[in-house]
Amino acid sequence: MTDPWLIAALALWPPLVLTAIAAARTTVRYRLVAVQMATSLTIIMLIVLSFAFDQASSIDLALTVALLTLPGTLLLALFEERWL
Amino acid sequence: MTSAVAIVLSVMVLTVWLASIAFFRLPTPFQRIHVITFVNIVGGALAMLAAFLGDGVSSRSLKCTFIWLATLPIGALLSHVTGRALHVREGERR
Repeated sequence: MTDPWLIAALALWPPLVLTAIAAARTTVRYRLVAVQMATSLTIIMLIVLSFAFDQASSIDLALTVALLTLPGTLLLALFEERWL
Repeated sequence: MTSAVAIVLSVMVLTVWLASIAFFRLPTPFQRIHVITFVNIVGGALAMLAAFLGDGVSSRSLKCTFIWLATLPIGALLSHVTGRALHVREGERR
């Protein structure tokens, strides 16, 4: 049962790494969008990793990231709007 | 059941890859926001479906459902906030 989840987790790495690089290296107006994309991919990745490693409690990490995305991205948007 | 999980997971991975390719192909950040919505809705729904197929009704799959349901309004709100921030930054709206 673990194998398809592990393969899916491995296959999800390249898009996540590419968007993380885009969030770090592109111009400022593209960075916020790339951060949002990377966060969405991270949530999916954490869900898949929870099943891949068969650790039921680690699904709370995905839940935490999903809930903390709201204040984090709001703060980033405020910084981008006013100061960056 | 494992083959059903594998099929749903492969569709999810294909969805994410398609979204990532579109993310880097689209020229403006406003267009790229659409891709994030696609990943949130379709990718999250497929992950939730795979969780239910793999686990049945459990606390983990119910948390997956909650994550997906929370991501929908949060993603919509953040897309609006991001678009507004970009507009303000470019001086189109004060």
